Amino acid sequence: MSKDWKAHQERGSNIMLHVIRWVALHLGRGPARSLLYPITLYFLLTASSQRRASREFLSLALNRPANLRDVARHIHTFASTILDRVYMMTDRYDCFDLTINNHELIAELLDQNKGCVLLGSHLGSFEVLRITAVVRRELPVKILMYPQHNEMMVRILSELNPSLSENIIPLGQPDTLIRAKESAASGSIIGMLGDRVADSGKTVTCQFFDKPTTFSQGPILFASLLKVPVFLFFGLYKGGNRYEIHIEPFADQIPLTRGSREKDIQEWTQRYAARLEHFARSAPYNWFNFYDYWNVHQRPVEANPQDGVPG
Amino acid sequence: MDNISPSELEVAKLIVETLNLEDTSAEEIESQAPLFRDGLGLDSIDALELSLGIKQQYGIQLKADDENITEIFSSLASLTRFIQDNR
Repeated sequence: MSKDWKAHQERGSNIMLHVIRWVALHLGRGPARSLLYPITLYFLLTASSQRRASREFLSLALNRPANLRDVARHIHTFASTILDRVYMMTDRYDCFDLTINNHELIAELLDQNKGCVLLGSHLGSFEVLRITAVVRRELPVKILMYPQHNEMMVRILSELNPSLSENIIPLGQPDTLIRAKESAASGSIIGMLGDRVADSGKTVTCQFFDKPTTFSQGPILFASLLKVPVFLFFGLYKGGNRYEIHIEPFADQIPLTRGSREKDIQEWTQRYAARLEHFARSAPYNWFNFYDYWNVHQRPVEANPQDGVPG
Repeated sequence: MDNISPSELEVAKLIVETLNLEDTSAEEIESQAPLFRDGLGLDSIDALELSLGIKQQYGIQLKADDENITEIFSSLASLTRFIQDNR
């Protein structure tokens, strides 16, 4: 995947975020949702690089050339989840109809005061995890992320719910992992999103949608060092007020053998990539990476993977 | 290269051994140079391993909440000072 996301996606969604937050808080979910149509249209017309990224991804995931209607639905889905995030952050959970698969896996660990890693992605909403708090209990979640890359989003949402920033462990700091390990040891859930690559840090190449794709080594490496059970997490938006959470056991621990460490990381990341692809195919409009994911537009023409099936 | 004190050299040796730094010897680590990024080029994984090494050797537990870890790890001198203050 490319590193293009920081420049593009945050900028584009900032305006949308402000508009949506205001409408959501002042008018309620119903009227706010009706406003998502003009908002979608606006972004459909103005956000050309996001539109291109959407079309390219959807063409892969839908197995047919995506049209403008598909792209509109994609943007609308994204806008819907941003809107709902406002309600999730302000603890108004009654608006949602939520299905959770395998919730008990994590509940059992929490009962024993044991921590775990939730390995998620930008497919759907990680924030939907907050709703589960109401269903069952308060979840002690810490999310590893680059706050500077999501500055606007974090600031706007923090105003709604000040506890948010306490729940973020900033990545890229010397104490990142020490903090994460401490939290995991004291029974917290450590959330990581594995589908984007940062500036620094090692990467690994995996097959994703039948293309060689760059993934960060970070999540697997970190999960391995935290020495706690790892689960995959996908919080999919299914339209209307419906959300569907899928939790899958991934590893009791991720052992990395000295000598074959790179190979181990590649294999574990490939397993993650395979599940991510599975859910991305099942809910393609939930793919919220609106940028040149495979870096195809920075490569020479002859290397464009769209020209044929690799291999 | 600046002169480093015996206690700094001891901590420098711990760093080199804990992190298996193959290209750097303890004597080469400068007292004031940053340990992370530009300087020695350590990352947060190294910091975690180093904190375990410090716990093992000196019995000092680095706590993320009550100490400014970024400050402690800013240089060999500040790390050595932290260890001396807490042992």
